[in-house]
Amino acid sequence: MDPVTSRPGRLLIHVFLIVFAIYSVVPFLWTALQSIKKLRDASSRTPKFLFTPTLENYEDLWLRSTPENPETLAFFLLLALLLLVCLLVFAQHIPLRRDLVYGVAILGLVALLWLIPQLLDTASFYDYFINTLIVTAGTILVSISIGCLAGYALARYAGLLGVVVLIAALAFRALPRLAYVLPYYWIGSALNLIDSHVLVIITLVAVNQPFTIWMLRSFFMEIPKDLEESAMVDGAGRLVAFFRVIIPVMWPGIVATALFTLLLAYNEFLLVRILTQTNWTLPVAISRFTGGEDPRHLTLAAAAAVSATIPIVIVILFFQKQLIKGLSAGAVKG
Amino acid sequence: MERRIFLGFAGPSIVVMCLLMVMPLIMAIWLGMHFMTFDNVLEPQWVGLRNFAAALADERFWQSFNFTALYIVVVVPSWIVIGFVVALLLDQVTGLARGVYLSIFLLPFIIVPIVGTIMFRQLFEPSGLLRWVYQELLNERFRYTEQTVKSLILFHGIWYVTPFTLVVYFAGLQTLPQDLMEASGIDGASRLQKIRHIVIPHVRSLTLFILLFSIMDSYRVFDSVFVLTGLNPLYKANTIMTYTFQTATQLERLGRANAMAVLTIIGIMVVLIPNLYLSWKEQIAER
Repeated sequence: MDPVTSRPGRLLIHVFLIVFAIYSVVPFLWTALQSIKKLRDASSRTPKFLFTPTLENYEDLWLRSTPENPETLAFFLLLALLLLVCLLVFAQHIPLRRDLVYGVAILGLVALLWLIPQLLDTASFYDYFINTLIVTAGTILVSISIGCLAGYALARYAGLLGVVVLIAALAFRALPRLAYVLPYYWIGSALNLIDSHVLVIITLVAVNQPFTIWMLRSFFMEIPKDLEESAMVDGAGRLVAFFRVIIPVMWPGIVATALFTLLLAYNEFLLVRILTQTNWTLPVAISRFTGGEDPRHLTLAAAAAVSATIPIVIVILFFQKQLIKGLSAGAVKG
Repeated sequence: MERRIFLGFAGPSIVVMCLLMVMPLIMAIWLGMHFMTFDNVLEPQWVGLRNFAAALADERFWQSFNFTALYIVVVVPSWIVIGFVVALLLDQVTGLARGVYLSIFLLPFIIVPIVGTIMFRQLFEPSGLLRWVYQELLNERFRYTEQTVKSLILFHGIWYVTPFTLVVYFAGLQTLPQDLMEASGIDGASRLQKIRHIVIPHVRSLTLFILLFSIMDSYRVFDSVFVLTGLNPLYKANTIMTYTFQTATQLERLGRANAMAVLTIIGIMVVLIPNLYLSWKEQIAER
């Protein structure tokens, strides 16, 4: 659209957009505020904006007992985390092999996550956090691996069977979750897998597979066919050509799809709620804080909500471009 | 690519979908014909079509169906209208401000739905900000009643999916036919006329896409209703999904819940079949 040029017009547009921005973030700001209040301040009937901030809700949520020297521990843990994140972010500028740098950074993160419960007396919320990471990482790994192969095949195969698979996937994506999840409960009981990560991961992979193959296929379609054909003329088989030539140029598409898979796995509530008994992920753990009689649930829910949101906000800040590209790609039926 | 190679590549994915989507669906029909609680999961008792009949005769099943229908009718048009208007306004902004606005607007959609609803709910707790505003403005106490809980569910629904339609329309606006816009400008078309005669027709296919998918998605709304009602029957605000879930987990009627899930699928066919037909035609043409 051609731009509005009049001054009052532009002002009005900004006023409206700012009002809409406030409407979008009020729940976040209010919850963040509630999460750093003492229970007495948080349950005041008239909203309090002046109060002494406290981290005790976060402490109650994450820790069973207060460590002796919390400041020093927090400082070193945050420092280590920051270093590893910097390593991940600036990997491209480090004059070493890139996969080596990524490997070291990821190993470091895992080591850190393992170290924390050794140093601190962590509460069950930490276990739920770890569960969420395992389930999310597992889902991404399996889903993207088999999804890439299928997405590539669907982008290149011209037969009717390809269309049938695509349309069937679309139909399955639209069906209500419960129609699958209740039979999964039966399958899980029969195989004695209820409450295991494997069951949650494999069912999440299946539920998200239609979306994944549609999205990956749309990215593979953008890659010209000549690319792998010239490699195949040189004597490489299709599989070799796929890994040597196609995958290296597919990374942006893979990252975008992985991002959506991450959100889907991290967000899943219903499936995890039915298929687990104690090995919850964060959404299920957090839902326990609503509707209870315990008055402390008010501030604990706020702290839990903020805690679960921070990792997602960080991921989104890094991958905003891929996210918007993925959302707006008309081919993405999801 | 030959068929054999296609099957080799797509095989793992197809096997996973057959085992964990096609098979469960058939199982859902089969389990729906059994009496099953959490105690006899592995030896359910055959009852034939009784579960289906009971579900269809259940007043609360229809009540939840009606509320789901109301949700769709209120929320889907709101997504489309608000998303389109805000996208038009955002299109007027350039540079850094555009990116900042977009990130902020996206927040409600990106966040874990359960968590977003809990945050939303915090505003209406006895000590919540919006409850206080409500009481100051209307001078009456805010109570959780059937009416207010239902309004909260609708309000939350609008709040958290609008960012999606906004982004889709915003992307659509970036591909407007520039020559047409310029020509109409020379002919003296006003801004509103341009929107009416060029922009809206341009985004028509996007609107259809949003319409079909948002109807299907809002038909299965679950997370937000679960948090806002706490499955309290007092509010009569169950949707089909929460009622089915409640039948499975609280009443422990797993067979009946399976039957309900199968009945729900029949309901969704109304939108799904035209959608599949359109996609089929599109894919065949593209081939």
